[in-house]
Amino acid sequence: MSSRLLFRWLLVGEWRAHLLQALVAIIAIALGIALGFSIHLINSAAYNEFSTATKHLSGQSDLQVRGTQAMFDEILYPTLVQHKSIALANPVLEFDVVVADKFADSRDNKLTILGTDMFRAINISPDAIGISTDGDRLDGLSDDAIFLSPAAMEWLQVKQGDLLQLRSGVQTVTLRVAGGLLRARVGQRVAVMDIGAAQWRFDHLGLLSRIELKLAEGINRDAFKISLAQELGEHYRVIESADQEARINNMSRAYRVNLNMLAMVALFTGAFLVFSTQVLSMIRRRRQFALLRVLGLTRAQLLRQVLLEGTVLGTIGSLLGLALGYATAATALHFFGGDLGSGFFSGVRPDIHFSWLAAATFFILGLGVTLLGSAAPAWEAANAKTAPALKSGSEDIALVKLATPWPAIACLVVAGLFTLFPPVFELPIFGYLAIVLLMVGIIALMPRFSALFFSAFLAISTKKSSAAVPMLALSRLANAPNQASLALGGILASFSLMVAMAIMVTSFRVSVDDWLGQVLPADMYVKLASSGDKGGFQPEQQQAMEAIPGISRLDFSRALQLTLDPSRPDITLIARPVDNDSPEKIIPIIGEAMASASFPAGSMPIWVSEAMVDLYGYHIGNQVNLPLGKAGEVAQDFVVAGIWRDYGRQFGAIQMQLSDYQQLTGDENVNAAGLWLQTDTASEQVMTTLRALPFNDALEISHSSEIRATSLKIFDRSFAVTYLLEMVAVVIGLLGVAASFSSQTLARAKEFSMLTHIGMVRRQIFGMLAAEGGLLAVLGVFLGFVLGWTISLILVFIVNPQSFHWTMQLHLPWGWLILVALVMVISAALTALLAGRRALSGNTIRTVRED
Amino acid sequence: MQFLKSIVKCCQLILIVPLIFLLGFLVSNVHSESSRLLTVVPDYKLTFPHDYGAHQDFRIEWWYATGWLKTEDKEPLGFQITFFRYATDHDTANPSLFAPKYLIIAHLALSDPAVGKLLHEEKTAREGFGLAYAKEGNTDVKLDDWTLVKEENGRYLVDMQGDDIGLQLSLTPTQPVLLQGGDGFSRKGPKPEQASYYYSEPHLAVTGTVFRQNKPQTVTGSAWLDHEWSTAYLNEDADGWDWVGANLDDGSALMAFQIRHKDGSKLWSYAALRNAAGELTLFEPEQVDFTPERTWQSPYTDAVYPVAMRIRTGEIEWLLTPLFDDQELDANQSTGTVYWEGAVTLTRDEQPAGRGYLELTGYVSALDM
Amino acid sequence: MLELRQINKSYTGGLQVLSDLSYTLDAGEYVAIMGDSGVGKSTLLNLIAGLDTPDSGEVLIDGAAISSLDDNAATRLRREQFGFVFQAFHVLPHLTLQQNIALPLLLNGVSIDGVEKMLAAVGLQGRGDHFPRQLSGGELQRVAIARALIHHPKLVLADEPTGNLDPDTAHEVLMLMRTEIKANGASGILVTHSKAAAATADRVLMLTKAGLHPLAADQTS
Repeated sequence: MSSRLLFRWLLVGEWRAHLLQALVAIIAIALGIALGFSIHLINSAAYNEFSTATKHLSGQSDLQVRGTQAMFDEILYPTLVQHKSIALANPVLEFDVVVADKFADSRDNKLTILGTDMFRAINISPDAIGISTDGDRLDGLSDDAIFLSPAAMEWLQVKQGDLLQLRSGVQTVTLRVAGGLLRARVGQRVAVMDIGAAQWRFDHLGLLSRIELKLAEGINRDAFKISLAQELGEHYRVIESADQEARINNMSRAYRVNLNMLAMVALFTGAFLVFSTQVLSMIRRRRQFALLRVLGLTRAQLLRQVLLEGTVLGTIGSLLGLALGYATAATALHFFGGDLGSGFFSGVRPDIHFSWLAAATFFILGLGVTLLGSAAPAWEAANAKTAPALKSGSEDIALVKLATPWPAIACLVVAGLFTLFPPVFELPIFGYLAIVLLMVGIIALMPRFSALFFSAFLAISTKKSSAAVPMLALSRLANAPNQASLALGGILASFSLMVAMAIMVTSFRVSVDDWLGQVLPADMYVKLASSGDKGGFQPEQQQAMEAIPGISRLDFSRALQLTLDPSRPDITLIARPVDNDSPEKIIPIIGEAMASASFPAGSMPIWVSEAMVDLYGYHIGNQVNLPLGKAGEVAQDFVVAGIWRDYGRQFGAIQMQLSDYQQLTGDENVNAAGLWLQTDTASEQVMTTLRALPFNDALEISHSSEIRATSLKIFDRSFAVTYLLEMVAVVIGLLGVAASFSSQTLARAKEFSMLTHIGMVRRQIFGMLAAEGGLLAVLGVFLGFVLGWTISLILVFIVNPQSFHWTMQLHLPWGWLILVALVMVISAALTALLAGRRALSGNTIRTVRED
Repeated sequence: MQFLKSIVKCCQLILIVPLIFLLGFLVSNVHSESSRLLTVVPDYKLTFPHDYGAHQDFRIEWWYATGWLKTEDKEPLGFQITFFRYATDHDTANPSLFAPKYLIIAHLALSDPAVGKLLHEEKTAREGFGLAYAKEGNTDVKLDDWTLVKEENGRYLVDMQGDDIGLQLSLTPTQPVLLQGGDGFSRKGPKPEQASYYYSEPHLAVTGTVFRQNKPQTVTGSAWLDHEWSTAYLNEDADGWDWVGANLDDGSALMAFQIRHKDGSKLWSYAALRNAAGELTLFEPEQVDFTPERTWQSPYTDAVYPVAMRIRTGEIEWLLTPLFDDQELDANQSTGTVYWEGAVTLTRDEQPAGRGYLELTGYVSALDM
Repeated sequence: MLELRQINKSYTGGLQVLSDLSYTLDAGEYVAIMGDSGVGKSTLLNLIAGLDTPDSGEVLIDGAAISSLDDNAATRLRREQFGFVFQAFHVLPHLTLQQNIALPLLLNGVSIDGVEKMLAAVGLQGRGDHFPRQLSGGELQRVAIARALIHHPKLVLADEPTGNLDPDTAHEVLMLMRTEIKANGASGILVTHSKAAAATADRVLMLTKAGLHPLAADQTS
């Protein structure tokens, strides 16, 4: 009872007097937790919804058969229906079309259509059957009927009975909205129509995307999966839902993990701030604790007192953070969906789901960080020699124990080792650990750095002049380095993170910009708004385009998706004319490409993206097989002739000769064309001619400069979250600067009043404070830059290649860095000044007498 | 055959009841009578084997067989199988092999007094890929692994294996084909276009195997087959029908139906009786009356069926008694329609006269679509 | 009540401050200890309070050796039997006067009812809700005296309690302390530089290198 009363008195007394610091600590925890928790909630909501929605419409099949390309010949279907081990086979044709009314919005104009046979689907995926509100279910067989999910209806602003214009390839198809898909997931934009109608109307005759299977009773799925795969051969993939989940997981995992890591970094900055706030508060209260020890508080009681205070702080902060994080996530999901600009989860509208496990984890994280921040100083306070601790001026002694260099050096060494480690589960776990260790190590070494730096500075400056103000400022910084470095820690942590992120993003952006220049050599590009994998420009349309006057060169290209591994997202195959002897003219080759003379006889050359090296183990000179060509024919050999950089497709891409492709597959269609204009031809002229083509409705015509600009815009948008995280880190960092400066300056009230007594005017004291703040910030910014630069090296050369399978060159945004450095230094000096004003406004006479 | 009447319901199309059950949604399509389809006209001369086969130019067509079987333990067992072919309004120009121009629907039911209720299974598929079809030229219908084929020698082979029940039967004709209405033109209502082409094969000798829970039982028995096709309309006032087809002990064959008004009164009726010698007697609508003798209320749907029925054909009065009462076929889950289709025995002047199948439709208000 | 037996204490670096010091303080006795700076007065107080341990010898409180107690036992003994008054007041700035005075009671886990009475006894009645920053130095030291005696300790240790006060205030405080120690039946040790201050005690002892001995009459001023 009385011990609880004592606890409360001490806590309330402390907080009443230092509300600002308590608030800063709480806000720091809350922001860190809120950020981490909200990103976690958004990501998991989006991921779960995306994966559920995908599974939802593919029903409860035991297995699925897909082709290695997006579509395959329907001839397989009757074979599977009649297979004795298969009870049910449900054919599905899935493709995207462009909604005519939304044509202009190239990022958001596609509608996914599932072509199904309702009589087969009813037993496997009953949710993918359209329902007409007037009960006419047979309308689902009509050749002009399409059924839309509620979200799609809302998006397209149509209702049952309306007509809908859709574009596929060069043609426009008008369909009647015959009803809805009542059981589609909330927010899921999808349409269903009869498979026969879909094949015909959208020019996919004879093609299927997948066949979903239910096995006969008593058939072992795992064994049958293997035997069926053998029966079907290398042009087909037999997959189960686990593969599909892995595929969805693989698709967005790197993105999600990296975002989570960034959130953790913000949490870490918050944690450091809490730590330094706690340490400072402990130091400030050292004499009070000593008094309590004299009056009879045992060590255990003191330790408990401090830890309980930390618990209260951590609990409030964490709970606040959870609430804030949940609210943020709910708001973000409501207004922006779960996509966060990444494009991975478009087409679904996830609902937020509160996860107790995640909440508990983040709560424990927040509380743990606070307790950790309290534990070290609490231990020191409890074990301090009581009598000396009662004397004033003993504060810096307390920090000596916290400044043993060995753990910090160990951190740095381990961090260095971690940079050598390979990815774990294709994630740069060790890279991130190295970053954290690096930060911990450097921050822990801060006192040494600041003592060294300021002593040296002091030695130099006193030789030259003996002005009182700089001398005082420097002496304090040099001789009480531990307190100084705590203030520095906040600046260091946030500035280094900013530097690291800025360098990483700039390096990435500049690299992407260069890359765009390389991959867009033509003046103009023409492609079909939506051609799926089939369709596209047919030979006669190609001829029409070739005949356009004013064009010096016209390169057609064919792009399609290939499944090499069913548990991974598809890779992209691009067939286009390539100069075998100098592929680097149109492909951004890294290093040396293989000379055409050394291609093995009978092998076709392919050039693969970096991701193919990481994910599929391709190397220059490798001879590989690709599931191209017709089933049953002898597999063609390919040789990896070069490796190129691809920022567009992190799951892998392969380029090959268009002529090779056409020879192999007999597929004469192409999806896109690059146009080089004759020097005397204006692009408007060619544009006009293109617009006059009979199939101009479906054309997307862009100048390479536009594509470049749009790509960079998309790039910037997808890094929007990163900028947000950076901002939060900066705010947390500046809060930390303010808190540590004001608390230290307040603690030094006596020192200032003494200085006033010995004749320093207030202006000089302000000058001294500003000098201290500024000098500290200069050191913090300098070290922050070094640390940030090191971290950026890890981000650029380890984290990115390991997560996204692409490399980039380092570029430093000097202007921006200098600007931020200046802002940091000035705001630190200003904060110091402001805090000083407050401290000096008290009764200076009394402060002196108290001692 | 009567089955025809099922069609009665809501729609104007001649829709067989089970068809309605399987595809309650067919209905609204009825309105858009496409010009490619033919209508039933008098004076068409049925030729065989051509007319045993499918008639793709008509909206709907079915092969329907019912019969009484006896197991080796002398236990009686009723069966009913139906294959429908239905022409949709899907554009015939669609070259896709998936184009749903024709649907094949099949229905399988067993009446076992030991079970006390009807066991049934059903399937639907679009014609195509050789997986489902109704061929022209002779009876040859397939829906996945369910088949009904008429061999050169006139014998029908049925092979239908469902999840819980199955049949492998051969049905051998013992009598000539019976052309309903005399020449195969069967009127369904007061208007001449309310008609179908319709022939029956009564007194088919059955041998084969019945499967229940994959356990085979050898059976023998006697069956009745109807083949009927039409594009025509049923009368708009029709509310349901009662139909019976029976193989009589003396070798005669009896078929009778009435189509009911919404108020329950007779809208149209017909009966044909052919004796063992092959002499056919046709009855005019006013000569045929159906009178409920006993009703049974379904515990599932609360519908009240006249499961025992008195039928007057001219001077003769037949009493129909069900093998057991609960032969209601509930297709509520798939399409929301329910009817009664059951094995019955016939007596004439209180003497056993034969056995057949009685079909009662339109007794559940839910039939209202 | 307090017995020092042949105490030796030197600091790291070898500086011997106390050697073979022995002394016995009777119950209810109030002594002042004077001595030159650095002679070990504060060290002696720390040893008595159990805040420091002697190199050899024993500090006995009612026959029990405080110097051999572990930290927890020493802390418990301190909070039950000792009261402290410091030169720098050491009043917790964020607690009210009442709360500051009640601290020893809370630490001992007993009722805090007597606080108001004690406030009145040190002349601060009605100011229990004030904070230390609203008080003058003399008033602060009265609070410290109240705190030192609130839990009826057997021994009050005062280390230069008037070092930061002007002479008039100092005298008031010292007289108050004496009165209160006597009123509570406690013993007291007052460490001071000031002869005037020392004079408020029952006896005055001089701490020298030679040990602790009564001040010769001619040394009193």
